Parts: sequence; C-alpha cells; structure tokens
Amino acid sequence: MRRGKEKDLRRIMSRRGFMLAGAVVTMTGFLGARLHYLQVAQSSRYQRLSDRNQFDVRVLPPARGRLFDHKMRLVAGNAESFELRITPLYARNLQNTLDLLASIIELTEARKGHVLDTAKTLPSFREITVRDDLSQRELARLAVRSPLLPGVSFGKSLRRIYPQGALTCHITGYVSPVTQREIENDKSLEILPTLGTGKTGVEYMFERLLRGSPGREKIVVNATGRPIKVLSDVPSAPGSDVQLSIDIGVQLHASERLRQGRWEQVTLGSHDAQAALASAKELQAHLAVGDDMILRDGNGRLVPAESGAVVVMDIHTGEVISLVSAPMFDPNLFTGKLLNRDWRRLNEHPRRPLLNRVTSGLYAPGSTFKMVVGLAALEAGVISENTEFFCKGDRELGDGIFHCWRKGGHGTMNIVSALEQSCDVYFYEVALKIGIQKIRNMALRLGLGAITGLNLPDEKSGIIPSHEWKLATKGVVWTPGETVVAGIGQGYVLTTPIQLAVMTARIANGKDAVVPSLLSKSNGVSQNFPPLNISESALAVIRRGMTAVLYGGAGTASGFKLSKKYGGMAGKTGTVQVKRITLAQREKGIIQNIDRPWADRDHALFVAYAPLKKPRYAISVVVEHGGSGSSTAAPVARDILAKTIAERGLI
Amino acid sequence: MTLWYILFRMPWHILFIAATLVVVGALALYSASEGSWQPWAGRHALRGSVGVGLVLLMAFIDFKLVHRFSYIVLISVLFVLAILLVIGSGQNVSRWISIGGVSFQPSEPAKIAIILALARYFDSQPQDRMQSLIVYLPALAIIGVPFLLVMKQPDLGTALMLLLGGLSVMFAAGLPWRYVGGAVVLALGAMPLLWMSLHDYQKSRIMTFLNPEADVLGAGYQIIQSKIALGSGGLFGKGFLMGSQSQLNYLPEKQTDFVFTMIGEEFGLVGNLFILGLYLALSLSILRISYLVRSRFSQLTCMGISIMLFFYVFVNVAMVSGMLPVVGAPLPLISYGGTSMLTVFFGLGIVTSILVHDRWED
Repeated sequence: MRRGKEKDLRRIMSRRGFMLAGAVVTMTGFLGARLHYLQVAQSSRYQRLSDRNQFDVRVLPPARGRLFDHKMRLVAGNAESFELRITPLYARNLQNTLDLLASIIELTEARKGHVLDTAKTLPSFREITVRDDLSQRELARLAVRSPLLPGVSFGKSLRRIYPQGALTCHITGYVSPVTQREIENDKSLEILPTLGTGKTGVEYMFERLLRGSPGREKIVVNATGRPIKVLSDVPSAPGSDVQLSIDIGVQLHASERLRQGRWEQVTLGSHDAQAALASAKELQAHLAVGDDMILRDGNGRLVPAESGAVVVMDIHTGEVISLVSAPMFDPNLFTGKLLNRDWRRLNEHPRRPLLNRVTSGLYAPGSTFKMVVGLAALEAGVISENTEFFCKGDRELGDGIFHCWRKGGHGTMNIVSALEQSCDVYFYEVALKIGIQKIRNMALRLGLGAITGLNLPDEKSGIIPSHEWKLATKGVVWTPGETVVAGIGQGYVLTTPIQLAVMTARIANGKDAVVPSLLSKSNGVSQNFPPLNISESALAVIRRGMTAVLYGGAGTASGFKLSKKYGGMAGKTGTVQVKRITLAQREKGIIQNIDRPWADRDHALFVAYAPLKKPRYAISVVVEHGGSGSSTAAPVARDILAKTIAERGLI
Repeated sequence: MTLWYILFRMPWHILFIAATLVVVGALALYSASEGSWQPWAGRHALRGSVGVGLVLLMAFIDFKLVHRFSYIVLISVLFVLAILLVIGSGQNVSRWISIGGVSFQPSEPAKIAIILALARYFDSQPQDRMQSLIVYLPALAIIGVPFLLVMKQPDLGTALMLLLGGLSVMFAAGLPWRYVGGAVVLALGAMPLLWMSLHDYQKSRIMTFLNPEADVLGAGYQIIQSKIALGSGGLFGKGFLMGSQSQLNYLPEKQTDFVFTMIGEEFGLVGNLFILGLYLALSLSILRISYLVRSRFSQLTCMGISIMLFFYVFVNVAMVSGMLPVVGAPLPLISYGGTSMLTVFFGLGIVTSILVHDRWED
C-alpha cells in the first residue's frame, strides 16, 4: 500500500516535471517571438530611432551675401554677434540661474519663460539660447561672473548690419527673422529659424542670391550630448555678394540736399532749437526715428526736414546712382528683435518713413508731363516747332474755364517757349488737339504708367488715364475737360519719381527705352534695351525746350543753372496742386504757399538731365509740399547733378 | 566512492554550458566598458573560474550534508534579512550588506535557501498526506516569510521571484490541482492589495511599463532605449563593440540588468537566441537530473533550482524587451555581480552533488 502511494507520488512528480519543462519551453518560445518582433519585424523602425539617438545633424547657417556700392563700399554686411546659451544639465537650478542672469543683463520675463518651457521639451544636455546680440558690456559683465553661472556658455552668430544706416534704407531694405508665413511658402527655411530673410528692398529682391545654402554637419553624440566624432561635414555656401549701382557719395549728398530743401539748417544744440523741440510734437516725432535735421523756414519757424524723393540714373545703362526717399529709417532696427516702441514710432509717424516714395509714392507729374504731351503732338504731326498758340491767361471750354499759372497770360507761345515758361494754356490747346489716347501712348512709351523694371518690391504703376480706364473705374465717359487737365499732368495722372527719372532718361537718350537697375554694370553686364522709336527731330525740339527752362531768358529755372564746369543741364519744373484753390482765394490774389498748412502746399517737382552736350545722367526730384518746382526742386536737382558729375565724371 | 567514480558521474555538460555563459558574459562586459577588461570583464571571468571550482569542489560533498543544513541555511538567511531591515544600508533601500569591503546581497542565497527548505520539508512528509491542505500551510510559511522580508527591503523583483520559485516547488511536490486553481483565484484577488502596498517608485515603474512613451526622458527612458537597442540590432547585430546604443551610453545598466540588450544590439536576434538556447539547455538538463535521482529531496531541489534559474532568465529578458516592468533582475552568469553568480554556481554545485551522490541506479 505504502509502496503503491510512493509510486503514485513519483508518477505525479514526474508528470509535474514534464509540465514544468513544457512551461519552460513555451515561455522561451514567447521570448523568442518577442525578440523576433523587435529585432526583425520592427527592426527598421528601431534602426531609425537608434540613428536619431546617435547622430546629431547640425545645420550650419550660411553667411548672407554682402551688398556693396558702385565703388565697393560696404552697404550691407554681417557682424559677429555673441549669444548667451544655457545647458540645463549643468545649470542645476535653471530658474535660479536665469534669475541671476536677469540681474546681470537685460532678460525679459517672457524670454525666461520661453527658456524654461523649451527646457522641458528638450533633453537636458541640449543648449538653449537665452539671449542673442550681447553687447560688449554685457559680455564683460557675464565673463566676470561666469564662475557663479553653471551651465552658461557663449556662442557666436552672424547678424546683418547696415553700416550706412538710414542713408541706404530704401535701397537695401532689411532682413528680419523668418516669419511663419515664409516657412509655409518655403519649407527649406524651417531648419533655420534664426536666419533672417529679406523683407523689403534689395534684400528682398535678391533674397535667393544673397541667402546661400546651409551646410550640414553629422556628428555622433553620446547620451550626455557630447560630440564623439564628426561623420560628414558639408560646409555652408555663403550667399553671393552683390555690387549695386548706387554711389554712396552721391547718395549722402542727395539725401542731405533733398531734406534741406530751400531752407536753412539749424544746429540742434542752439537755444531756440531746444525750445522748439520741447514743444513741437512734429519735431519730436522726427527726432524719435533718428532724423536730426531741423530747418528754419522762410517765416523763421523751425520745421522738420523736407520729405520727398530723388532718383539719379545713368541714361545709357539704366544704373540707379542714387535713390533717396525721405524721411528715412534705420534698417538696423529690424535685424534683431524689433522693439514695439520703435515699430510704433515708424508706423505712426505722420510722414511714413517706411514708404519708399521713389517707387511707391504716387504724385501727379504736373508740368513735367508737358514733355510727354509735346512729344505726342510733334510725333503725330499735329504741331511743329513753329506752331503757335496765344495765351491770354486762361482757356474756356464749354462751361469751364482753365487758368494758366500766370494770371496775365504768356502771349504767343511755341513749343519751346511754352516749355521754357511752362505755359499751361499752350498745352491745353495741344492736348485738346491730339486727345488723351495719343498722350497716353506717348506716356507709356516713355515709361510712365507701368512698373519700371527696377524690381524693388511694392513698386506702384501709377495711372495714365484713357477713355477705357475712366469708364472702367469711374463708370462715366471721358470728358474733354479732363484731357485739358491731363495736358498739364494733373487730374487723374499719377506717376512715381522713378518713372519720371526713366522718362527723362529716355528723352535724353533718344534711342533706347532705358530700364532702371540697381545692379552695377561695371562688370560688363550687357544692356540690351528695346529701341525707343521716337523721332529724333521731335526729341530734339523737346530737349531745346528743356534747355530753355535753364538757359532761356524767361526759363522757369533760369536761376539755377548748372555750372559750365559740369557741362550744363536741361530740365523741367513741375508745381503740383495738392488742394484746389478756391474762387475766393483766387480773387484775394495768389496766396503764398508758405502761409498754408504744410499738407495743403503744392508739391515741388523737377526733372533734368546733364551734361547738355553728351547727356549721361537723369534726375527726378520731388519735394513734398515744398512749394514751387522752380524755387525748391530745381536747386536741389542742380546741386545733386553737380555732385554726381563730380563723383562719377562727365562721360 | 573513488575520484574516478565522481568524475565519471559529474554532469560535465551543465558545467560546460555554465562556463560558456560566463565567457559570453565576460565578452559582453568587455564590450560594455568600450573594449576593456577593466573594470568588469576581468573580474567576471575570475569569479566564473572560482564558480566552476566551487562546483567541482561540491561534487565531493555528499548531498546529505546539504540536506542536513537546509533549514539552518534558511534560518540564517532570514536572520540576515531581518537584520538588514532593522539597520538598513542606504536611503530606504536595504538590499546590501557589507562586510570588510565585500558587498553581499542576502536575497540571492534566499532563493536557494527556500528551495532547499521546501525540498526537505516535503521530503519529510508522509506520502499519503500529500493530498491534504494542512501539509502545504507550513510550506507557505517557508515561502512567505522571506518573501515579505525581501518585499520590505524593498525589492519587488526578487520577492516575486522567491514567491514564484517557491510555488513552483510546491507544484512539483504534487500540490493537488484544486489548490492550484484556488491559488490562482486568490492571487488575482490579492492584486489590488499588493498594488496598495507598493512604494510610489514601484507603482511608477509599473505605470511606465504600461506606457513608456508617457515619460520618454524619465522612468520610461530605460525601457525605450533598451527596445531601440534590441530592435536596431536586427537579425545579425551591429558587430562586437559596434553597438551605438551601448557604446554611446544611451543604454543604462548595460553591465548588469541590460546586458542581454547589449548582446542583442551587437549580435542581433541570432546572438540572443543562442543565449536563450543555452539557458533552455541548462534548465532542461537540471530538470532532467530530477528524473535520475533517488530521494524526493533531490528531485524537488533539482526542479526548484531549474525553475528558479529559468525564471531569472525569463524575467530579465521579458523586462529588457518591454514585456515586464523594470524590476531589477540580473541575467544569471552573464550580468556583472558577484552574489548572483555565486548563488547560481552554488545551485549548480548542489545539483552536481545530488547527481553524484544520490543517483537512482547504483
């Protein structure tokens, strides 16, 4: 019995032994299956994760291409700037270290919060940028205290600088940090959130060329983030340098001369200047955006610098030698973090310094449009050089009466004398004879009413009206009275200063339909402009008229001749009404511009080319609310042309 | 009993497998220290040699001596465990005891002690009483006391291992099926209680196991990195000393608990299956000895040691491959660690002694 029990138990135990063996084999099978799942089925996924662990691909930002002026002077470059980084792993207490840093350098609460948030999402050995663009002073202060700042390190980065500052602001434009919208349009920007991209000006225009391509460095890093070895290293390719056609010497003179206008500069330190600054809001607004020119006007009042535009261009190559739009702004403000205060000052400034008046400022061309009307008529054979009209001071048309600027009239005029004295009635007659369509055609051929091809962003095309245009935009038919007004460049006609410069350049050139360009052509870039196809004899007549403006006995700008030394010049004044003069005012007699509020005063325009014999340079000047073209704009144009010839030579 | 007789009876294949595992371990540790015998691989090999020597030595000891001392061994282990709990060796963790610069983990020999005590206890019970529950209650106490002591250390992994190993011996001893079923029901019912008695870090380990991605840089880091290392090893591995996860320190504890992962990264699925095969062979060989020996004590001891060894392998591999929470279980004979290795060789020595001195047909 007992023996039997023993045998039973032995049998039970050996059965249990087999079960255990079965369990061992089955469980080993489970392990094998699990390992097969990880190491074969999911292997490629884990391979990827392993690579992401061990390889750190660092993107090396490219150095942005530099901008030079015609004489290879730096207009936009890159400066090394220092940034402050922190490694949470070594900082021990991140919050404390940040608080300590904030007591040493400027560090906003928002920035601190951002660093703390970032630290939560990244492995603790990754560096986080705390501040960029440290000043020398801040660097020194941090360096002295560095033993107390665990985990803090410094890095170098490149920052865009514009050594000419405001002087070239509307040419260079500026770069500023990449925006979310840019990233949506161009995914390649995503990897370089610190890179600046051009937002306006040449920086925007040549963005592709200037940016270069980022390099890549593949590094093996260990678990603590320490680089072990560099696997592959593709250096970044810097962007191309660009030589601009601008001449800084001319640019500087042009900007000073334009802003001074016809008034006298006042020293900022003088007693009355300080007194005026303390009270006048307008002067304060100018000073706040870095414009420190103060003028004393004809009535002895202290006023801010003039605003307006100047373009100087080469009539053969189309190279733009100077491009000034005033008031200006400092593009360096935009390269880092634009302060709200600065942005508000620029954006709310009454004279809109951010607007590039040369390409985006729309002005009625006024009397400078008379060349277009004259050329259209001459070419159409409607008038000849000898065709005469009588100016009695006004011209009646239907119920309307159109005045000449000279109350008593000019008497008998031909095309040359009408240009010389800027007789309005003569051009009323001519305009009525040829009609708006022919005027429009000529305007377009001379470069008005369309984008010029300068390629700066946001260029405006202006308006050269026609029957169709009026019907389409206003819904009513064109009237002859509107042709009359268009004959002297007022009414619907709107142009930009660059268009006026192109028009002048084409008249002076005579053969090519010159297109303006900001690129220097000194490197033998061929220029193949389409032919202008305007009869040379007609052009010659117009040029004679423009010469008479300066050298004729009654020329509207005869007081501002360009010295013989520079070869003389030919030009045309333009005085553009901004506000209609009421009948009551007219009866009271001519009201002096200076006695009206600034915003109601006429715009002063002048276009010119020089030298007379072999023309090389064309200029257009607009002084906003500057009074008359002859008294304000003509001397500005003359002085800038003189400086241009002095800097760039006669031929 | 002559020397030749003993040498003839020696389970050489078991010794060979064990020695192979030690060599594999030494190579893995050589790689873990970036290609150096310092600080682990050399000492591991040395300890392995001592271990093999211990097994050879124990072949000359009659298993009856082991039988005689089995209760004393358990009592002294319990005593040390209790002392550890009272004095403690670290911040809330009292697993180690240090005597003269040598660190020692008493929960390791506890595994063997439980098996020996249970084997002797069941061996002493009359055959016809094996169907009644009364017989198994003292056995539960033999398992329960060390379990609770180790649990209190706290070392959840080892505690559960003791429990499972002990229960397996009870199962092998012939625990009737109705009690097996009852135990399973009881275990499921006790789960919430167990959960509540866990420390916060133990709970978080289990939560992390259930969802490691929730805490990539914290507690989930180990298991995620381990899976990446295993998975990226693929079928044939990245090559000896070429495991990027291990060599660049992404893999934690690669010389101890995660050594299997490192081997998997450098030698792939092939390497891992080779090692699993060795363990399976070792486990089954020891289990087979239980069929060759005479006494119930010898049978149960062999079964217990075989199962305990296998459990260790299973828990470790399941842990590093993300099937079980990270509980801290070394891989026998491969992981760096003196106590664990000594315990395993001691177990093998007992098996050898039993086979040599208590073989069925002589």
